[in-house]
Amino acid sequence: MDRRKFLKNSALVSSLFFVPNFVKAFESLPSERLGYKRLVIVQLAGGNDGLNTIIPYNNDLYYNARPRLAISKNIIKLNDDLGFHPSLSPLQSLFDNGELSIINNVGYPNPVRSHFRSMDIWQTASESDEYLQSGWLGRYLDQHGKKPYNAMEMDEQLSLAMKGEHFNGIATSNYKTLHNSAKDPYFKNVLNHYNDAHLSEHNLGYLYQTMIEAKSSANYIYENTKVKSSQKSYPQNGFAGQLKNVAQFINSGLDTKVFYTSLAGFDTHANQDYKQTRLLTQYAESVSAFVSDLKRSSTFKDTLILTFSEFGRRVNQNAANGTDHGSANNVFVIGKNLKTAGFYNELSSLSDLDANGDLKYNIDFRSVYATILSQWMGVSTKGIISGQPKPLDFL
Amino acid sequence: MTQQELQHLYWRAGFGINPNRYKSMPKNKAQVIEDFFANSKTFTPLHIDLSYLNGIKPIDLKNYPELKKEINQKGRKKILELNNAWVKRLFNPKELLRERMTLFWANHFVCRERNPLYAQQYNNTLRYFALGNFKDFVKAISKEAAMLRYLNGKQSRKNKPNENFARELMELFTLGEGEYSEKDIKESARAFTGYNHDFEGNFIFRKLQHDYESKLFFNRIGKHDGDDIIDIILSDKRCARFVSDKIYRYFVNPKPNKKHIDAMAEVFFKDYNIENLMRFVFLSDWFYDEVNRGAKIKSPIEYVVGLATTVPVTFENDKDLLKIQRILGQTLLDPPNVAGWKGDKAWIDANTIMIRLKLPSVVLNNGFIALGENGDFRKQFTKNKKQKLPFKTRPNWEVFLENFKYTNIENLQDYIIQGTINKGTLDYIKALDKSSKQAYCIQLMSLPEYQMC
Repeated sequence: MDRRKFLKNSALVSSLFFVPNFVKAFESLPSERLGYKRLVIVQLAGGNDGLNTIIPYNNDLYYNARPRLAISKNIIKLNDDLGFHPSLSPLQSLFDNGELSIINNVGYPNPVRSHFRSMDIWQTASESDEYLQSGWLGRYLDQHGKKPYNAMEMDEQLSLAMKGEHFNGIATSNYKTLHNSAKDPYFKNVLNHYNDAHLSEHNLGYLYQTMIEAKSSANYIYENTKVKSSQKSYPQNGFAGQLKNVAQFINSGLDTKVFYTSLAGFDTHANQDYKQTRLLTQYAESVSAFVSDLKRSSTFKDTLILTFSEFGRRVNQNAANGTDHGSANNVFVIGKNLKTAGFYNELSSLSDLDANGDLKYNIDFRSVYATILSQWMGVSTKGIISGQPKPLDFL
Repeated sequence: MTQQELQHLYWRAGFGINPNRYKSMPKNKAQVIEDFFANSKTFTPLHIDLSYLNGIKPIDLKNYPELKKEINQKGRKKILELNNAWVKRLFNPKELLRERMTLFWANHFVCRERNPLYAQQYNNTLRYFALGNFKDFVKAISKEAAMLRYLNGKQSRKNKPNENFARELMELFTLGEGEYSEKDIKESARAFTGYNHDFEGNFIFRKLQHDYESKLFFNRIGKHDGDDIIDIILSDKRCARFVSDKIYRYFVNPKPNKKHIDAMAEVFFKDYNIENLMRFVFLSDWFYDEVNRGAKIKSPIEYVVGLATTVPVTFENDKDLLKIQRILGQTLLDPPNVAGWKGDKAWIDANTIMIRLKLPSVVLNNGFIALGENGDFRKQFTKNKKQKLPFKTRPNWEVFLENFKYTNIENLQDYIIQGTINKGTLDYIKALDKSSKQAYCIQLMSLPEYQMC
């Protein structure tokens, strides 16, 4: 048979019979149900200084510890003790509407002050001396995920948090590029000709299966995302771009439960004021735009936004007008129907610090995760968070 | 030795081989393997320029915070430089097997060090002992500045022993999980107290911080120090078996075979000589069994280095090499945690598979995979050049064509792909137009099969 004839034949055949069933199954799967609960994670990488974010503006200890770094002007007072950093003004309406819950002093026993380790601990929900190879959202996917796009990270590589034992989410900083790679006609031809009944029984089968999943995920995201679904204008920065993409996915009704976003640069050992102001401005303006975008599409009520950082910073400022790595920190939860809005708890004592001069934690971050899993995602924490931590009352 | 056997050996003990070298190879398997070892007898340490540290004393860093900051910033850049130097060494290795083994040990004695001086020293210790005596190796590792920092050995002192290193020594380096008691960990942690290092990274034993009292470890009472503990652990055959198992799964097949691993452990237990163990593996007939050929999923480093071995490629920007490692999930010197990279299937998910399938065409051919239309390989060079690509590279196709000069294009798949190609896929690619070896090479590299070695 000459080549032209072969190609003609195979093209015909593949379009009629040879499209393997598993490909068909992937391509035509309807999204199960719309309007279900979604979780958006915002990771502030580098260790955000929680004390200059939520400021104990009536506390002399705070001003004494930070003679040149404490914030005294334009604080947005939220109650008699605590107030927002001036850059967080876009979030004030959320606070006033009861759509923001601030949980103070979140951490874990025997805190680790290495970015790398502490981020691993937060992402895997491990003990401080325990090394887990899977993330908490990954383990959620192990049990409840069906497709890689059920959890998406707005980055080019996938965080450990999103890797399960058997199942991973998908990372894409640009879903159009992903789609462009995946739709290469060569790959399509290869898959159309690939034949193996024993998919995934051996390593090669696993590779083909993952290729099919990747291709169908890229296709799914591309086909189902309506660019116009996000009309709100966002600030011009990378983080806002991530949230705009998330809003498009949510408003388009994508079958995605978890979105992972990240804003980096919070490691402010020197000249903190300028850097943190810039980053918190980006954070607050972007989140505010995101929330109103969702509200406009009535998807905010089904979305919960969790903001965390791998640790807080030392109470005392350092000589370089910055702060060093600390431990306990605040966590923000943004959503429509919060059980405890505003401040969930009081700030830990600034006089009773740990041996390093850091805030003592009194809420384990894993109980925050457990609350979200059980009260928001509606699943058991078993096999996802160890030790069955007691849920909190914010949801 | 058949071509397949030779390729298999070179993919596991190196990063692949080009067909033009076959002719000059000895026909005899034992001789090929002996040459492999002879070539790695020497040791070439990896060095980057660290002269910025010359003359700096610890007290300076204490007294001048600005200097400390500058040194730290420089250090971060130097770690990236070390990463780059290592990857480039793998592209053009002098002692091939030694480098291959170094890569293996780096994911066995896992350590993450941000001080470039200690990181470089650690890396060279791995390289130095890579084919040496395992007992000396473990002892050297226990005294490395980087390890003393990474697993808190330097904080471990009499009356306040830190158990981190003692635990990982047994769990990850020598015996495996569950092969020891918590009591063994506590007792052995006391034996390693007083270990420290100086500013230059040399080992220091601080007598005053060492616990000289008796310890009961694995039912042996004595005033053990760290080296004694390592001797006791290695006198247990389970250690030889644990390491053999790991070597088998890395070099032979991710699916362990008890009979073969037991045979390896017998050899290894005699004297813990790593070279002898590897010689035994490469000389064994079972090493070349069909089930072992193409059974392993390439790690990102194996994948990238293997690609550059077939088609030499220069990255115009060093950062791109780093970026590739990152998006594929394996940045050298930056392991995910003390257990290292999980490997095998864990390398592949929906993100990494697409990148791996697309990368050869991006790196070698502006992102274009020919579909077998006449002349479309040449066409893209003029037409597709404007397309924005994530990397700037210069592939050296002349070398590739020279290496594959005597290889018939119809047989190219036998040289580019390890193991068998899926029947349907093979039928498809065989039917494609074969006018350009380059185009066919990229087609082959863009297959799931190319992920295997």
